[in-house]
Amino acid sequence: MNDTQWPRYEVFQQDKPDKPHRNIGTVHAPDAEMALQNARDVYGRRPENYNLWVVPSEQIFSKTAEEMTLDPGWANETVPEEGTAVPFAVFTKSSYRRAMTHVQYVGEVAAKTAVSAMQKAIATYTEGDPFIWWICPLYAITRTQENDIESMFAPAHDKLYRLPNQYRTVAAMRKIKRESGEQ
Amino acid sequence: MTHSEENFQEKLIEFEARIARGEKIEPGDWMPERYRKQLIRMISQHAHSEIVGMLPEGAWIPHAPNLRRKMVLLAKVQDEGGHGQYLYHAAETLGATREEMTEALLDGRAKYASVFNYPTLTWADNAAIGWLVDGAAIMNQTMLAQCSYGPYSRAMVRICAEEGFHKKQGQEMVIQYAQGTLKQQAMMQDAINRWWWPTLMMFGPHDSESKNTPELQRWGIKTKTNDELRQEFIDEMVPALHALNLTIPDPELHYDEASGHWISGEIDWDEFWRVVKGAGPLNKERLAARRKAHEDGRWVREAAAAYAANMTNS
Repeated sequence: MNDTQWPRYEVFQQDKPDKPHRNIGTVHAPDAEMALQNARDVYGRRPENYNLWVVPSEQIFSKTAEEMTLDPGWANETVPEEGTAVPFAVFTKSSYRRAMTHVQYVGEVAAKTAVSAMQKAIATYTEGDPFIWWICPLYAITRTQENDIESMFAPAHDKLYRLPNQYRTVAAMRKIKRESGEQ
Repeated sequence: MTHSEENFQEKLIEFEARIARGEKIEPGDWMPERYRKQLIRMISQHAHSEIVGMLPEGAWIPHAPNLRRKMVLLAKVQDEGGHGQYLYHAAETLGATREEMTEALLDGRAKYASVFNYPTLTWADNAAIGWLVDGAAIMNQTMLAQCSYGPYSRAMVRICAEEGFHKKQGQEMVIQYAQGTLKQQAMMQDAINRWWWPTLMMFGPHDSESKNTPELQRWGIKTKTNDELRQEFIDEMVPALHALNLTIPDPELHYDEASGHWISGEIDWDEFWRVVKGAGPLNKERLAARRKAHEDGRWVREAAAAYAANMTNS
């Protein structure tokens, strides 16, 4: 492993307790613990953070509507008889309008293989006509824990100077222009 | 036409139709090789610019005039580092690797925004960079937030939202120093004098010289040309700087009643190409600083990797 090419982890961010986790990008890290820390530093500098998930990129199985049209045989496989089904998390993207949103968490399915989990996900989560589907086994997700929230996310709430609305430049320019007009 | 050429034409027509309908192209979707290559070129250059862009202002963090300015500047430089990461991520979705991009930057093959090869001589330079350089970057990035490639567009939306504070903290300082003591006014004017032209150069060569623009516009990567964006910037900044009694170092600058635009003198294109090609004031120093940071961080990366390996094996 080269020292500039650690494995990639997909990062999912939850803004508020009642909002779904949304994919916001990736980080590189030597392990999941460091991936969470990096995700917090890279994607958590603003207050909109309640919880983060990281998943090794290689554990994500993804399909777009276009990929499936161009490769209709993608789902041809024989599901093994033995073995038990494991739970998979399902993420979909279903709107071009919401610019910031890529795939977001919609629920879970249980299946023996990724291909069969994908088929179940597509059949189950149809709301909004999704056109991108991601799945990963639940065990691949590393999450920030309840007692991490304070140390990881609370400091951003005090750093209001990171927000543009803390600078009164528009009013200042208006005042200067008005005063120069009066002279 | 052979079968594969016909097949390519069909896919290209559908690809261009998707862009025309305002759909985003996403990782996994079919795209022409040229589209992929152009995006990797643009996004990786953009990422490198964010990373090198930490250096001119970073040098002033220990010298900030008060604690608030220090916290603001720290937060801004941290943001630039984060923006570099968002963009490297977007390039990786197209098949570029972090390793290739890091190497290209460190061995001097990669391009980045030339503006960061100019020195920051006084504290007022941080004010000028915030308002002018970040202001110019936001104009370009607001356009790119509309771009047809999903991951690049999303990175840009996020970056624009965060850059708003960068521009405003700069503008706040310019306003303060322009109305301050005579010494502060002189320092501010000197910074504007040095940063005005490098900022105009950020928008790139004239449209007539920009060979990539037509293809980038056809594929919805850029929706405005270099000269259009540069003109928008000039029209916004000139009246604002004049209102603050600051002058612009361009004797040919004048307002054209007919078009309603401020018309700039010609950019020194010899200087532009000289800096792009590596002979700017600080090109060598910027790369040396990046290499040193990479080397100085090696033991941290090694320790983190050793810890991870140890945890996996135990």
